Amino acid sequence: MLEFLNYPFMIRAMAAGSAVALVLGYLGTFIVTRRLSFIGDGLAHASLLGVALAILLGFAPLPTAMVTAVILAILIYYLERKTNLSGDMAIAIIFSSGMALGLILLHFYSGYQPELMSYLFGNILAISQFDLIFIITASVIIITILTVFFRSFLFATFDPVGAYLAGKKPWLYDLLLYIMTAVAIIAGIKLVGIILVSALLVIPSAIARLYTKSFVNFILLAILLSFLIINSGLIISYYLDLPSGATIVLTGSVLFVLLSITKKIIK
Amino acid sequence: MDKSYLQVNNLHYSISGQTILHDISFSLAQGDILVIIGPNGSGKTTLLKLILGVIKPDKGTVLINNKNVKMALGKIAYVPQKFEFDRNIPITVKEFIALEKCGKKEHGARFINNALAQVGMADKEDKKLGVLSGGEFQRLMIARALLHEKELLIFDEPAAGIDLQGEATIYSLISQINQEKGTTCLIVSHELSVVSRFAKQVLCLNKSVVCFGPPQSAITPEVLQNLYGTEAGLYNHHE
Repeated sequence: MLEFLNYPFMIRAMAAGSAVALVLGYLGTFIVTRRLSFIGDGLAHASLLGVALAILLGFAPLPTAMVTAVILAILIYYLERKTNLSGDMAIAIIFSSGMALGLILLHFYSGYQPELMSYLFGNILAISQFDLIFIITASVIIITILTVFFRSFLFATFDPVGAYLAGKKPWLYDLLLYIMTAVAIIAGIKLVGIILVSALLVIPSAIARLYTKSFVNFILLAILLSFLIINSGLIISYYLDLPSGATIVLTGSVLFVLLSITKKIIK
Repeated sequence: MDKSYLQVNNLHYSISGQTILHDISFSLAQGDILVIIGPNGSGKTTLLKLILGVIKPDKGTVLINNKNVKMALGKIAYVPQKFEFDRNIPITVKEFIALEKCGKKEHGARFINNALAQVGMADKEDKKLGVLSGGEFQRLMIARALLHEKELLIFDEPAAGIDLQGEATIYSLISQINQEKGTTCLIVSHELSVVSRFAKQVLCLNKSVVCFGPPQSAITPEVLQNLYGTEAGLYNHHE
């Protein structure tokens, strides 16, 4: 029954998945509250630029993609605040430009690049020990920052003017949130891929908000759901021999539909 | 009375070359209630934002206790006309009111309960924020200001979209805070009756200052005609 636990790649995938579940579930509550769901998608797609750079230059893909995504997140923040572009316009421009530049760079790489496919669609077989340590470290740092400054993040999210008047720097928490989202998204791309990773940022929170009244419970439920979706998706993909990334995301989508209908019925 | 608590000096503000506010100057003493009136588009909300330091003027200064507004952060509360948030997002009244931490004591459950009780919302602390009515939400914002004992409260049309009873409750709360704690209050209102009932000072605004002073002397039929262009009038309510 639990034969998948005999395989080191499954253990690594579930450990990485659990770390990613914690961080994306937690961050997702702030992202959904701020109506920034599109930012995860934008950063994930734009990070193809980082993956392409790493492949061409022979760097480690995950750290390179992470640095690139962080720079792009800062650029989106800058465009939003310092120009008259709206948030969705800034994200759309960076999203498409980053991806286009990545594709142009990959055009100059001669030969088949199997690793590229694992970044696009996720591949649990490709999660190395290094990746696992990298993902867990990034997750621990983000969760620590979010928890230590929880009240300030919440204040800046719900009432930025009030936060400013209380002597806080809401812009700093906004920028930190963008940067942490970039890091968390990259932490999840080996698991589900660039194309689908943003779903893990949004789906757990989209379900959790239906069943909770307080923000703390909202976070706890989103993390729990994220954990369930990722690990059950991994196990289903193992037994049905399906692509892991797509199975994880579809597990989340099915859960979302079922729990949304259930909520309507019990209302 | 020494009018040096809030000093607004020669404020100018424009957007893309279009003047929004021109040469605004006035000062207030601590404990004053100033009601700012003016037609739509007269720059009332912009003036509040300039006072708060949320936007920067082209020219001019705002001083609180003779210091830059940034030095007064932590002492000012702002109640906007409309508080934008997604009502489907779960956050309780108690979580919302405790967003600002002033210290362990103030943040205690008892202080939150007291502040909510003062605005008649003691039984609502575990309610989801999204289910509150407009009036309840304004009262909650006032409770938050009470909890943290602010020096300056700034309200942008606090009773907009609220029924008459709710409106009376909100203005009597503002009046009560002003009397009991000596809190200085700035209120933007469309209601001329608010001026006659609550204002110690009135500022008539139409891109520049049309009148400023105690309502009895500042508001004349000519001023009202200049402001609203019709035969608007100021009437005292008989108790």
